[in-house]
Amino acid sequence: MTAVPKLEAGEGEGPQRQPVAPLRSDFAVRFHSEAQIEPLHEATLALLERTGVKYQSAKALAILKKAGAKVDEGSDLVRLPRRLVEETLALAPRSFVLGSRDGAADLDLASGYTYGTTDGCGVEVVDWRTGERRTSTKADLADITRMQDCLGSISFWWPTVSAGDCGETAQLHEIEAGWNNTTKHLMGMVQGEKLARHAVEMAALVAGGAAELRRRPVMSDLIGTVSPLVNDKDGIEAGLVFAEAGIPVCYVTMPNLGTTAPATKAGAFVVGAAEIVSAAVLHELAAPGAPVWGSIMQIYADPRTALTMTTPLDDRCRFLATELLHSFGLPALGAFGGTDAEMPGTWQAGVETMLQLLQVPLDGCETYTGIGLANTYNLFTPEKLVLDDDLYHRARHAFLDIPMDEDALALGVIDAVGPGGHFLAQPHTRRHMRDAVARAVTQEIDADGQHYRDALEVARERALDILRHYEPEQPLDDDARRELRRIVGDADRELRG
Amino acid sequence: MKDQLKEALIAGDAGTVNALTEALLASGVPAREILDEALLPGMEVVGERMRSGDCFIPEVLLSARTMQGALDLLRPHMAAGESTSAGTVVIGTVEGDLHDIGKNLVAMLLQGAGFTVVNLGTGVTSAQFVSAVREHSPAILGMSALLTTTLPHMGETIAALKAAGLRESVKVMVGGAPVTQSWADELGADGYGANAGLAVERAKGLVG
Repeated sequence: MTAVPKLEAGEGEGPQRQPVAPLRSDFAVRFHSEAQIEPLHEATLALLERTGVKYQSAKALAILKKAGAKVDEGSDLVRLPRRLVEETLALAPRSFVLGSRDGAADLDLASGYTYGTTDGCGVEVVDWRTGERRTSTKADLADITRMQDCLGSISFWWPTVSAGDCGETAQLHEIEAGWNNTTKHLMGMVQGEKLARHAVEMAALVAGGAAELRRRPVMSDLIGTVSPLVNDKDGIEAGLVFAEAGIPVCYVTMPNLGTTAPATKAGAFVVGAAEIVSAAVLHELAAPGAPVWGSIMQIYADPRTALTMTTPLDDRCRFLATELLHSFGLPALGAFGGTDAEMPGTWQAGVETMLQLLQVPLDGCETYTGIGLANTYNLFTPEKLVLDDDLYHRARHAFLDIPMDEDALALGVIDAVGPGGHFLAQPHTRRHMRDAVARAVTQEIDADGQHYRDALEVARERALDILRHYEPEQPLDDDARRELRRIVGDADRELRG
Repeated sequence: MKDQLKEALIAGDAGTVNALTEALLASGVPAREILDEALLPGMEVVGERMRSGDCFIPEVLLSARTMQGALDLLRPHMAAGESTSAGTVVIGTVEGDLHDIGKNLVAMLLQGAGFTVVNLGTGVTSAQFVSAVREHSPAILGMSALLTTTLPHMGETIAALKAAGLRESVKVMVGGAPVTQSWADELGADGYGANAGLAVERAKGLVG
């Protein structure tokens, strides 16, 4: 046995990149039978055919009209015949691969794992240098991206906070901050045709050309629909650009019970599903076979104030989103890990995040977002991301297999010790002890060796360690960095004047 | 060679430790020097690593056992009046309590730190503790309990030591899951360790 060398404080190599550790979900539970899902599925199709959906884009309307949809050009309203929906969705791939910049962390949506990212897209941070609470900036996102690159709970990148100092081209600055600081797959938030074209140029540069980008997309994009039942111009026209380039798009809706959606869960799901299906239909009509997936993030309006909340006592909606999207043949992006608690380190923040994370492996969504924000997806603090990373690994371990081979069953060592003895001195114990107890953030012992340290304090310390010392292993080379800067600069001149 | 011996002890490599100890003795290095300059410093490092969480108990135990083997080799070579022992500790679990893993762990780590340990086992009565103190004249008497119901026996033993006129001759240490520093203070014990590693540190402090 070799003793473990002791690292003195301030010595050593600083925090190391953790291997990406997705959540196992190949044995997800089906909470609703096909017979239970069918009414929702049917209602969604009926809604699309009877009530219709708005597409605020002449380009989109032309594509839909040509395909046989019933387009009312005066109002942008489009009614989608059932057959058109079903035949078009059949073109969408049931799974695809989200590429990483270095190829080392590609995400195969058919793998039986669920890949996660952070919450997004927050608008405030608590500055880790000064403690000041303020609007988030591009520099903040660059810092947070280094944390995303380091932590094993983060399989792919999403702008945790927005580049609030970058004006109309913020979404491009965000992906620039992303690629400059991580090799993981990037899911952008780019909206609008012009920004999307610049984003495609950036993605092709990083991928090594348009063909390579299509073959192994290093970027995807998250595009929101507008509830109820509207595909807005900036969203779908960005989607059309990405569809053409082979960049996967996840269409997301956040139907709000009682305000932008019916006050019943089922009704809100039908509205949400109709939006996602309508966007996906356009996507496939524009570029048959283009990778597309969906997300229905049901949220709630507090009936006393109309303020948005995400985690009421009865929060049973989450599984249904994935099951409904799968019934349309689309992969799903789940919404797990958020909290309405204003600050981290509270009972509320821990409970809400943990309860949701435990649902991910049961849910079976291929991707999910996310952890790291407080105050209903708005506020980033570094310690929250570390605390949530800890909760994530608790959820991950809960669903791992227990080894049951001969060595693990340990009959030999049990026999050697016998009744009334102890296992401390057994070589078998020494061989397994380091894996026997996976220590959480709550199990750091204090200097006097007697007490466990405060988890919030430990999390803050670990976060600061990453922020101060961690650099991604494979930074983008200088030429690519300069070229990304040029593209974003072009967009700034074109769109910000 | 002494550095190698120290490293082998830290790694718990009994074969190498025994071979190096014998080689050092054969080359004329005094047993006292081997103990003071290789073995005890090695166990110091193990103790530090245990405190910092880099070394786990089963590893500490392996080093402690390896240390015992080396001490057995040194003992016949110690000069007259010299001892390999840091002091004698009489240890036991109090009456009515059959839990002994924690107490045994402390005993093993004490041995690793160079103490001679007289382990009385479990269910030890006040009278048995007093009799063992009289017989072995230990520097330290250690009492362990896991049950809140058996904790009071610690106080009874201290009272019995006083009655026998032995209280001043021995330092009393207490430990076990329900034992706290304030309980130890109330009893009038001289030492308490919240865990096995800290108990050994405290024991060293008491005899140092």
